[in-house]
Amino acid sequence: MGTLPTDRHNDRPGAAAPEPDGSFSRRAMLAGTMAATATAAVAPISGSAFAAGPDVNSPQDMMAFLLLSEALTGVDKQLLAPEFDPKTNDPGTDPINIKNDYFRWINAKDTTSSFAAMLTFAKKNPAPSAADIIASVNAGNDDIKFLARSIVLLWYLGSWYEPKDLKDQATAANPGRINSSEVLSPKAYTQGLVWQIAGAHPMGYSNLQFGYWSRNPRDPNDQPPLLPTPKSP
Amino acid sequence: MADTCIECDVAIVGSGFAGSLIAKELSQKPIDTANGKRRLNIVILEAGPGVQPNINGYMRSFYKASAKVPESPYPPAMASAPSAVAAGRPTALMLSASSWNKPDHAYLDQEGSTLPFKSTYERLAGGTSHWMGLTPRLVPNDFRMNERYELPFPNWPISYETLMPWYEKAEAELGVSGDVAEHSYAGVTYSPGYAFPMPKIPPSLFDQHVNETLAHLTDDETKSLEFLGTAAPVTSLTARSQPAARNSQPYRNRRACAGNTSCIPICPIQAKYDPTITLNEATNNGAKLMDHTVASEILVDANNRVSGINFITYKDEAGPKTGSGCIKAKLYIIAANGIETPRLLLMSKNGGRTANGVANSSDMVGRNLMDHPQYLSWGLLPVQVFPYRGPLVTSAIGDLCDGPFRARRAAFRISLGNEAWTATVGGSGGDPHVTTLDFINGVNLSGLNKKDSTKLADNSALIGTQLRDTLGNLISRQFRIAFAVEQSPDPKNQVTLSSATDALGLPRPKIKYDLSDYTKQGIATAFRLKNVIFRKLSAEDFTTTLDDDPAAFVQEIEDSEGKKVNVRLTYGGAGHVMGTYRMGTDRKTSVVDSFQRSHDHANLYLVGSGTFPTVGTANPTITLSALALRTADNIVQNFKEM
Repeated sequence: MGTLPTDRHNDRPGAAAPEPDGSFSRRAMLAGTMAATATAAVAPISGSAFAAGPDVNSPQDMMAFLLLSEALTGVDKQLLAPEFDPKTNDPGTDPINIKNDYFRWINAKDTTSSFAAMLTFAKKNPAPSAADIIASVNAGNDDIKFLARSIVLLWYLGSWYEPKDLKDQATAANPGRINSSEVLSPKAYTQGLVWQIAGAHPMGYSNLQFGYWSRNPRDPNDQPPLLPTPKSP
Repeated sequence: MADTCIECDVAIVGSGFAGSLIAKELSQKPIDTANGKRRLNIVILEAGPGVQPNINGYMRSFYKASAKVPESPYPPAMASAPSAVAAGRPTALMLSASSWNKPDHAYLDQEGSTLPFKSTYERLAGGTSHWMGLTPRLVPNDFRMNERYELPFPNWPISYETLMPWYEKAEAELGVSGDVAEHSYAGVTYSPGYAFPMPKIPPSLFDQHVNETLAHLTDDETKSLEFLGTAAPVTSLTARSQPAARNSQPYRNRRACAGNTSCIPICPIQAKYDPTITLNEATNNGAKLMDHTVASEILVDANNRVSGINFITYKDEAGPKTGSGCIKAKLYIIAANGIETPRLLLMSKNGGRTANGVANSSDMVGRNLMDHPQYLSWGLLPVQVFPYRGPLVTSAIGDLCDGPFRARRAAFRISLGNEAWTATVGGSGGDPHVTTLDFINGVNLSGLNKKDSTKLADNSALIGTQLRDTLGNLISRQFRIAFAVEQSPDPKNQVTLSSATDALGLPRPKIKYDLSDYTKQGIATAFRLKNVIFRKLSAEDFTTTLDDDPAAFVQEIEDSEGKKVNVRLTYGGAGHVMGTYRMGTDRKTSVVDSFQRSHDHANLYLVGSGTFPTVGTANPTITLSALALRTADNIVQNFKEM
């Protein structure tokens, strides 16, 4: 458990995709577009009309994943995928490129086609709003609902919580701890969003300098941040 | 003993703080020996792995660990059964309600112990590097509890004044940042003109908020604090910058603290001192480190001198034994910590000639095990203080660590945490994970997901910007305050040998542990002071004692109206393992003298916090380091005669 499928061309930012991968992406993209058309009128997300399954190399699938993630996490997609070029699926100068790790992980873990269904909804034309996406997830079945929670936890903590474990906990009379969660990778831990959301940094991973803890997290002279400073009550 | 023993001048068992400091001191200057002036030949036996080329492997283990407990970065693997580990150790995960007293699951055999001993340690080169880095000194009255407060506790055989120059040397060696003026209270004094090696670490936003709030107490609040029993009325509480072995500027080729907020378990940039720094200097000077080498018996000859140490070697952390050997030296130093040192002494039976263990004519080896039981409290402030930033602790309230109340109850020192709820909800390494999961999955294990705190429905399951803003708002207001309580010495709190073994076939430590009424009264007083502080901070209190907590106990206290009520309290471990081979002037009631030299065996030293007769409230590392440097000096002065 825990090994990620490799994705060679995205591991080399800026490198051109080899021809076979490129043509595969194109087919997947076309399949995705047809699927989007077929389900556009259905409000709750359910089932999957993906022909080939979600494809991490497809710019359309990745864009859908980022729209979905942005809606579910409440965090701007520019922060989820800095430097990302939606036309070419190029991660630009982002050396971390955590979105690809997460996409592949979720795709490999999802046994219910719910991931494909959520991406299909996010790919609708015109693009659905964050509120539309949340409404659809909320109207979806338990497979959709708990996978969505797993996805948010992944972005927030870098840890994977199985949708089934989340469902068991949420529906228990006396909810207990979930001891089966798994940190995807050291890299994923360092990319957890909840720390930034709280104005902090992952424990043991910080780019800040001596004495910063005596001051407020964001200097008012800074550029407006992509993530708002947490509000006072 | 085999014929081909390794021979050297000084054999040291253990490469943690005390062992490394002594090794370095003895390695760096030529000294007088029976054969003239020369450098000493020093060998250090280390039970665990040696010094790593860099800490990347430890960082990787820490990042990847789903439970980020103090032991997470370090080997051996956390999931191993203690019987299947060559050089095992206690961990925070072994302290759960279902495993703490089950020797199959926990390294320390606590079966039959009244209360759990909750502190842990490491066994690898550099010792317990998962320390906080705080270095407050003991205060003068900590050395004379019997004389000053007429308690049935032993006095130390040395005074604060005797140790003072050694504190200063230790502060230079570890690299302490601090402020002398701020840290002159409860009788703590310094040499004329003394300054800590580096300026103080600046206070966190939480420290600043607490100081602003507690600077002026009303007359009613002062009156409500009479239960503390201080000499003068308490009109304010001051959080002072804590001296810490944490660089506030570059020092001895290590960089300044960057506030990675993981002093425990590991500083990613080594701005916090750890003993591998000193150990590397010792080995650069020629001292030899033998890792994966577990001392198994101290040999004593007919003249009552130590004549050798037998050891076992292994390669894989799960064992098995791959070899054995012995080491012969002129002088032996056991620096294996407050549990492993008595374990080794008690294992050393010399075929029955020392059936009660080596250095144990007093029967005090293993007795008087002490910790600083920590009363941990946590809550939510009405304002944002942005925790999870900076060193884990930057300030503490130390002024209540001494006073006339010590005649009847334990004192405490109060640390303000910058790691908020990390070690409060869901055990060590808990938040922000616990709270995050609560609000995503609509449960309430943190206690925060309820209408009173959030104005949302109970057990809200949130998503999107509402989730983001709710978590940002709540987590940035979390705080914790911990009270480290003095534990009284009790011979019945004891380390002995278990029938359970490790993967080398050696008996594991068996622990009997309890808290005296004196110590429990200290925890109860901490609870009452916590209530006053939380009220003054307008904080919402989330402090709880879980139903299945094996450390829970019930104590009668007076409530704010003077009524007697029962409260259910608990404590955590401070990681301070002390008292188990105490120093004293009387060889019938103590194990070593003030130089930490065995009363029984003239060429044996037992060092580390195990020699503390009483423990005060200060984190013990700087004191045990000062004692180690004093011991090294004593050895250098007298080596020829030994």
